[in-house]
Parts: sequence; structure tokens; C-alpha cells
Amino acid sequence: MTSAATTANAGPTTNAGPIIKAQDVHKWYPNGFHALRGASLEVNRGEVVVIMGPSGSGKSTFIRTFNALEDYQKGSIRIDGMPISNDLRNIDAIRREVGMVFQQFNLFPHLTVLQNLTLAPTLVRKRSKAEAERRALQLLERVGIAEQAHKFPGQLSGGQQQRVAIARSLCMDPQLMLFDEPTSALDPEMVREVLEVMQGLAADGMTMVVVTHEVKFAEQVAHRVVLMADGEVVEVAPPEQFFSNPSHERTRRFLDQIL
Amino acid sequence: MNAPMPFSGSPWGRLRRELFATPADGVLSLALIAVITTLVASLLRWGFTQANWAVVQLNSTLFAVGRYPVSQQWRLWLLVSLLASATGITWGLLRAFPRPDRGGELWPNNDRIAVVLLALVALWTPWALGLTAAIALRWLAITGALIALRWLAGRFGPALGRERAGWLAVVWPVLYLLGMVLISGGLGIAPVPSAEWGGLLLTLLEASFAILLCFPLGVLLALGRRSELPLLRWGSVIYIEFIRGAPLITLLFLGQNILGFLLPGGLAPERVWRAAWVLTFFAAAYLAEAVRSGLSAIPKGQLEAARALGLSTLQALQHVVLPQALRVALPVMVSQFISLLQDTTLLSMIGLMELLGTARTVMANPDFLGHYGEVYLTLGVLFWCCCAALGLGSRALERRLDPRHQPDGAG
Repeated sequence: MTSAATTANAGPTTNAGPIIKAQDVHKWYPNGFHALRGASLEVNRGEVVVIMGPSGSGKSTFIRTFNALEDYQKGSIRIDGMPISNDLRNIDAIRREVGMVFQQFNLFPHLTVLQNLTLAPTLVRKRSKAEAERRALQLLERVGIAEQAHKFPGQLSGGQQQRVAIARSLCMDPQLMLFDEPTSALDPEMVREVLEVMQGLAADGMTMVVVTHEVKFAEQVAHRVVLMADGEVVEVAPPEQFFSNPSHERTRRFLDQIL
Repeated sequence: MNAPMPFSGSPWGRLRRELFATPADGVLSLALIAVITTLVASLLRWGFTQANWAVVQLNSTLFAVGRYPVSQQWRLWLLVSLLASATGITWGLLRAFPRPDRGGELWPNNDRIAVVLLALVALWTPWALGLTAAIALRWLAITGALIALRWLAGRFGPALGRERAGWLAVVWPVLYLLGMVLISGGLGIAPVPSAEWGGLLLTLLEASFAILLCFPLGVLLALGRRSELPLLRWGSVIYIEFIRGAPLITLLFLGQNILGFLLPGGLAPERVWRAAWVLTFFAAAYLAEAVRSGLSAIPKGQLEAARALGLSTLQALQHVVLPQALRVALPVMVSQFISLLQDTTLLSMIGLMELLGTARTVMANPDFLGHYGEVYLTLGVLFWCCCAALGLGSRALERRLDPRHQPDGAG
């Protein structure tokens, strides 16, 4: 059940500060693994931030704390001024404003594409079915798969599924979109269609935090690129500087491995 | 270019390929054919020459409804008519509204075969049982109504629109409650004490009650077992393991005796209902395990995606996790339901006159001594029909719910 008490936070706000403010975040997994060791990051409205780093560096864990899919034990995270705490009402309010796209798409296989898109708007935003469907079809048009609206996810290619997943998040009109390795599970020929949709989103001014290994996307779309290693944010720099003249030895070593 | 299929399509060629591919296959096939023919032949010979079906014919009412008073049997006829009508309408509407992504024929071959079979059963059964013409006519009318409504709903259902047709599903729970009233009385109709219910009526009543109630209970237990709250988790685990560790017959005896002590006088339900509750609690433990296996088949990402979209845990369970988990668990759940239906025969051990109990009283009657084969065979066929119906229904449901299934015209 959603709580009405928090709807005051819904919709665009005039809050001028950074939309994400994560300070000194520490996370231990239940098995004792120290995944985040004082990671900090600020993201401003309309900004596209790409997070790179070797596997196991805590990139995914870090962005999953931004919509409370992972909890953290020390430090503080504020989304649009709202602190992420254990207060469940607060978490629901934050999740309504933060969209997330997963590596494995995570579409709901028992629902049609259209139903995937209208489920959350009708249940959470209490929109009428007709209104939700109109908006869903608009967004499917935008990601280029309106003609597949009545198919089931299993009948689509990986690239199409990921575009549906992006449209599904957009249906909630989020202020911020998180992408957790959105192209890593795709066949190479399908990567571009997904990146193009993301590029279009960025051009429209969406605030985006993207964990990816796509260097070209980072160079062309990101305002800032972040390197994470061993649970810490090592370097934050504009892409030109990040790829040609990084200031940290760790970044240079990472770039040597991937370029 | 496609290579031609490497075998001919003629039935004779296929038979030869499948049964006599190698000499060893041929010998095995011949031996099996001989064994099967002998068995079927001797069964038929017994059925037509030696068996005395009078034991079934003279007691057909007893097998159907037990000692339900004759003056009140019109209610059961009414109930059967209503159920048949609802079945016909539902069947027709399901064909009229196939899944939008697939489409489907209004009259697939399976349906034509089913209608012919129904008509044959309606014609043959009253004749075989030697029923009076009046009663035979009733069966014909009921079957006719079922088929006619199947046709009408298929023909004119589309005019209703999908939404309104969907609402007709509410008819079923209403019909179930109405059926309870019709059977037991109340709301202005004379009560018929449960001690007088029997035969197939009692079997189906006990089984359907337990199936309907064990389902929600089983889902709750499965969720409880996976809960993060220790008290809920351990409570569910202890319940499930306790029930699964005890034989049903023990629980039935326990239920007959203990419920009387536990509950203050008057609150303890009658024997029939005590047994129904024990069956329900018993089946729920097994069902919980089936549902749990379904739940663990759903990737964690599904719940995460739902939560990330802002759905509450309850909404995510209701709209995302449970529909998928129950579909995975459906075949196992239905086989639980089929066992449950067969387990109702144990009720004869605690003195209830369900099908087996009725059969035992009939066989104890000196007039019919020695005719066990006829009675047990009839019982077997009755149970087989009920279980086959459950199985067919579940497979149809599985096909309708499977998002990966491609249209094949058979659905």
C-alpha cells in the first residue's frame, strides 16, 4: 500500500540543490564484505554521469543505494533533498522519483509490453487506465517499438526488451534515471539501439547516472565520468580529461586495460 | 532449399517405423499387443457376461447423493442445472475471447470432440443405469443446456465486450455459496442434516471445500515460510513440517475427537465439516511447499524491478511475483488437488458415507454379496472422470497463462 502522507514530494520540485548527494557511504554485505568504503558523489539536475570501474569495484552497489535497493550502514544519501533512511514511506516516495534500468531488463514476463508500462502508473500514481495507456504508447513510440505493444516480453529481442524497460521507467515520469550496465547483457548488434535511446534521453535533459563500459557513450554523452575502485570514488572528471589526461594512477591503469 | 522430410506420412508407414523399426522392437511390440489384447478382452468378457451390474443400477441414487431425502432432491437437480449452465457459458466465453496476442478458433477440434462425448455420455449413462425415462430426460435436458449455452456464449459473447464478460467470473463463487445453501438448507429452505449427505455429492463437497480453502491458506504459509520475520517464518515451518509428518488418517481421527474438546459446545462443527477442515489444513501444508517452489523459481530481479517502480511489497507480490510463481507451481498444485480428491476416500474410515463409504454399505447388503468388482470398477471410473477433468482444466489454464506459448490451434 502506498502512503498518501508522502505525495507532497511527488512531481517536479523547485529544489535547487544537487539531486543526488551521497556522502561518505559505507556498505557491508551480511557476509562481512566491505563493498563501499566512503564513496561520495553529487549529481546535479540535467547532468549525465557515467560510472566506470573494474568489476567488483562497487559501481552497481553504489547506484543501487540511490533508490534503496541496497541499504548502507554509514554515511548519508539525499535524493532531491530527501534522506534515504529506514523510513519506508520515504523510500516509497524516493522510488517514485527515481527510475532504474537493469542489466537483465527485468521486464514482467507474464504481462504484455503495454501492461508492463501501465502497471506502476495505475497502481502507484493512481492514473486511469486510459491515461496510462496513452502515455505508455507515446513512450513506446519514442523508443521505437510502438507496434510491439501487445506482445509479451519473451517475444522481443534483447535490445527491444531493454528499450521497453527504459520506457517502463519513464512512464513514472522520474526526475532521475539510474542505468545499471544496461547494455552488458545484449548481443553486440543490439547495443547501439539502446545507447541511441539513452542519448536521446540525455539530449532532452534527463538526469542520468549510468554504470557502463561503453567508452564511446561516455565520451559523447556524459558531462562527467567517475572511476570507482575498491568501493571508493577515485576520480571525477569531464570525459575529455578523464580519457586523455586522468589525474590518478588508478584511472590510467584502468584505461590501459579497457582501451 | 529445405531437404524433404526423411519419412513418409502414411499412417501405415508411421506405424511400421514406430513399432517395428528393428527386430527387437518388433518382438517387444507384438508381445505388448498380445498382453494388452488379452487383458482388455477378458475385462470385456467379464463386464458383459459375468458381471451383474444390478448392484450399480439399483443403487445409483445412493452412489450419487447418499441418503439425501427424495423430497428435497429437486435442489440438487437445480444445482446441477446451474453448474452446467455456468460451465457452458464460461466455456463459450473463453473461446469467444481468446488471448489477444494469440487469437484462436471459436470451435477447435477438441471442443467438437468434447461436445460429442458429452452427448454420448448423456445418452448412454441413463440407459446403462436403467434410469426412468423422466430422469433420463432431465440428464438430456441439462447436457443440452450446457451445449446450447456453449454455442450461444461463443456466438453472442463478443457483443458483451471483454471487460463485462470478465465480470461473469464472479458467478462461480456466488454459485458455490448458493450451492452450499441449496445442499444444506437455510434462507427459507428446509434444512437437510449433513448426516444424510453421501456418495459423490459428499465426495465433491469435501474435496471442493478443501481445495478452495487450502489454496489461500497454502499461499499464506508459503509466504510466511519465506518471510523475514522470525516468528512468522518459524510458525509456518513448524506447521508445515508437523502436518507433513503425520498421516492423514491420524489427523482425521484426531480432528473428529479433538475439535469436540477444544471448542466449546455448539461451536464444534458437525462431523462432515470437521473432516472438511482437517482435509483443508492437511492439504494447505503440501500446497505451501508447491507454492514455495514456485516462489523460488522467480528471479530476484522481478521483485527489485517492481520495487524500483514504486510498488509496495504487497503490490509487487500481488501483481508481479505471485502470478508468475503460481503459474510455475500450477502443475504441482493440481496434482496435490488430485491427491486430495482421492484422499477423501479415507473419510469412509471415520464413518462418513462418501463414495467409498457408500460402496462399502452397498457391498455389505446381503442382496449384493460378492459383487465387489462391479462396485469398485464404477468407483474407479467416477474418480478417474473427476481427476481427468481437473487435469484437463489445469492444462488448459497453463496454456492460457503461458506467455511463451505459441498459437497451435489446439488450445
